[in-house]
Order: sequence, then structure tokens, then C-alpha cells
Amino acid sequence: MGNLTFKTYLEELKKHTPYNFCEYSDNSIQRRIDKVLKDHKMTLEDLLHLTRTDEAFVENLVDEITVNTTELFRNMETWEHLYTKVFPNLKSKKNINIWHAGCSTGQEVYSNLILFNELGLLDKVKVVATDINQKVISNAKKAEYLYSAHQSSIQDYNEFIKKYNSNAHTFEHYCDMEKNTDKFVFKDFLKKKVGYMRHDLVSQDIPFYQKFDVIFCRNVLIYFNPELQMRIVRKFFDKLYDGGVLILGNHEALHGFFKTRFIRSGMVYTKSSTFQFKYK
Amino acid sequence: MMNRKASYYKSVVIGGSAGSFSIVSKILAGIKSDFRYPIIVCLHRLKHIRSGLLEGINLKSNLPVLEPFDKDNMEAGKVYLAPSNYHLFVEFDSTFSLSTEEVHNHSRPSIDYTFSSASTSFREKVIGIILTGANKDGATGMHEIHKKKGYTIVQDPLTCDVDTMPKAALQLFTPDQILSPDGIIEFLNNL
Repeated sequence: MGNLTFKTYLEELKKHTPYNFCEYSDNSIQRRIDKVLKDHKMTLEDLLHLTRTDEAFVENLVDEITVNTTELFRNMETWEHLYTKVFPNLKSKKNINIWHAGCSTGQEVYSNLILFNELGLLDKVKVVATDINQKVISNAKKAEYLYSAHQSSIQDYNEFIKKYNSNAHTFEHYCDMEKNTDKFVFKDFLKKKVGYMRHDLVSQDIPFYQKFDVIFCRNVLIYFNPELQMRIVRKFFDKLYDGGVLILGNHEALHGFFKTRFIRSGMVYTKSSTFQFKYK
Repeated sequence: MMNRKASYYKSVVIGGSAGSFSIVSKILAGIKSDFRYPIIVCLHRLKHIRSGLLEGINLKSNLPVLEPFDKDNMEAGKVYLAPSNYHLFVEFDSTFSLSTEEVHNHSRPSIDYTFSSASTSFREKVIGIILTGANKDGATGMHEIHKKKGYTIVQDPLTCDVDTMPKAALQLFTPDQILSPDGIIEFLNNL
């Protein structure tokens, strides 16, 4: 195994574990693995050995390889667009199905629930949230965060919501602050709206029968190569109702075929039943 | 250098911290509009602030400046500015990919990441330029470009507002050239 490369390592990982990172962007997955090797002071051969023999190590490895950056109300202008232009259109629906694919530690899940409550639509909302990483799922379920790390997003939200409705609830309405610590936790009426589950977009079929009105998948596709991106977007397309929306990260884009099947407005892509030839 | 064929390089990468805005503007204003390589610019920028950096740089540039989206192709004669709050990577097929992973040297975008990925993907066919800056980010990336036999230019520390960034690079290796901003413009226009 003298000439073990990261690509052959990924093939081995795929063979021996449920995880398949073979179609991640080359440069980015290589760098993540290099980082793991550096942090653990091990060689690729050592990593392969542990991968084959130590299940707990592999779970931890997934946590280290995947990127879990998220924020409350990340890119406020996107949320503003959703609150004013997109979500009000869902009022006439009996149920509103939402999927957060790659939910990480849950900040966007709760950001979204807050907006639906402010629109008076929380009762209609059914939310599922998935991630490949079991650790972040557990944290998302707890819904416990550090105030100092989210202070500026909270202020941004409070300013935004007051601008549209002077009687709106401020952020503080939605959580319990723990005295003498830096922690806050979202209240049960939000927490109980969400069904969390571990799910790998790449290697598992979509585990839901229902279609969705809204799918969030922000800054997840950027780690995949173009072919894999296309396959995942196809799954989202099939799982959205006509007129349903897919919400991507701030600098993500749809390429190829699906560019013509969604109408884009900012980071919000609306599934269209007709081709969009004038897309730009 | 002189013997290398036309269109030898695959891209020029430029890095600096927030204070290098005026130098980057000057370079892009001085560069000829028929410049035939893609230019990738990675500047440290403040999170959460819509700084108008893109608009500012576009104002004077002779070449169109844009913030690439994930998996966009790079094209000759265009300038790509690393978007705020993302790391920008160069892939083997001359596309960009983005990442929101941890900050590196307190920075996202990190100059080291952009530079190293360009050197991994394009090897000797990269020109790396490091400008004024108050952080050592970029030095390791420049060193990577140097190790893969790419061409390296460090802004002359005497012409820098803050010379931490160029000096950190100079401590790691000897670049092909140490140039003033005017020298950099002349070099690029003679490529």
C-alpha cells in the first residue's frame, strides 16, 4: 500500500463503511482528509487501518470531514425575501411540508420556524431535518446555543422583523435564556415541530413519501462534484411540488439541465412546470 | 520566463488583506483590457458587512470583476473576487468550488487555501502575487506555488502600508521578483 492515494482511500471507505465521499469535489475532500491526518498525526495507511477496524472512529471521522458551519438567519436578505415574497403564497395550503437537507446544528431550522410563526402559519408546518452527521443532529435536537456566538444575527433579526411588523415578537420570545451562563435554548413549541433523522443524501434514497413545498439545502452541494450535484438536484426536483421552492446558499448555483427547470430569484429557486429558456 | 509560449499560464492569483484594496484597484486599472489570463483575487474582508468591495473594484478595473458562484468556469480576461464568508478553491478543470469550512488564519476567504488549490491544480502554470497585509495568511500558499515551480511575486515591503504579509512570505522562500505596484502592472502587461 506504498502508493495509497486519497482516491483509493475513499474507495476503501466506501467499501467498508456506509459512507461514500468518492464524488465530493477533489480539492476540497483531499484537503479535509489532509487535515484529519495532520490533526491525528497519522498517515493515510493508519487512517485506512482504523477505517476498516474501528466503527466509532469512522463516526468521528465523518464529523471531521463534513463541514458544519451554519448560523441563525444566515444571509438576512434571503430570509427577508422568503418572509415577504415566498412564504405568504403558502397561506392557502392545508399543510406546508418543509425539508432541511443538511441541517447541521439546526440554526436555520429554528430561524425558519420563527418566520412561519410570525406569518401565523406555524400550525400548518411540518418539518423534517436531516444530516449525514449524527453528532450535529443530536445538537440540533437539543436546540441549545451560545448567545455570544449568535448575538449579531439575533440583533439583525429583531431589526428586520420590526421593520415589517411593529407588533412582531422579538427573538427573545422564542427561547429561554439561562441565567448566569451564555446559553439559550429554543422553546418546546418550536422544538416539537421538527422530526430529525440521520440521512446521507449521496448514498441513501430519500426516505420521505410526501412531496415538499420548501427544501432548504444551503452550502451542501458546494462539496460535491458537478455530476453528483446534478443527481441530488434531480432528487430535490422530483420531491418538490410544482411551484415549490429550493433554497441554496448565497454563492451556489444550478448548472446544466436544472437551470432551465427552476425560476431563480436571489437564492430561491422555484420549481417550474415549463422550461425556462431565458434563465440568467 | 521569456521563452515560455503564449498562453502558458492558467491563471494569476493575487492575495492581500483588507488594506490592499487600493493596490488591487490600481493594478486592475493599469492592466491592459486585452489581458489574456483569468485573475483570481482573494482579499480578506469583513464578515456581515456588505462592503461594496465588488462595486468598488469594478469601478476602475479595465477587466470585468465578478464574485464566482460554485462550479463556475474561469475565463481569460476576467477577474474573480473570492466572495465574502466563503473559501474559494480552484479545481483541476478550471472551475471554482466554494467552502464554508472553518476560518483559516482568522480568515474566510483564506488566501492560503486559494493559492494552494491553484498550485495543486495548475502546478507551474500559476503566477502568485502577495500584496500588503497585516496577517501571515497567504505566505504558505505562496510557498506552495514556489515549490511547484509557479512564478511568485511579492510586493516590495517598502511600498506596503503593512508589510506583515509580504515579509511572512519572504521568510519562507525567495520569490522570482519583489516589485512595487507599478512594477507588478508592468510585469503583467508584458506577459
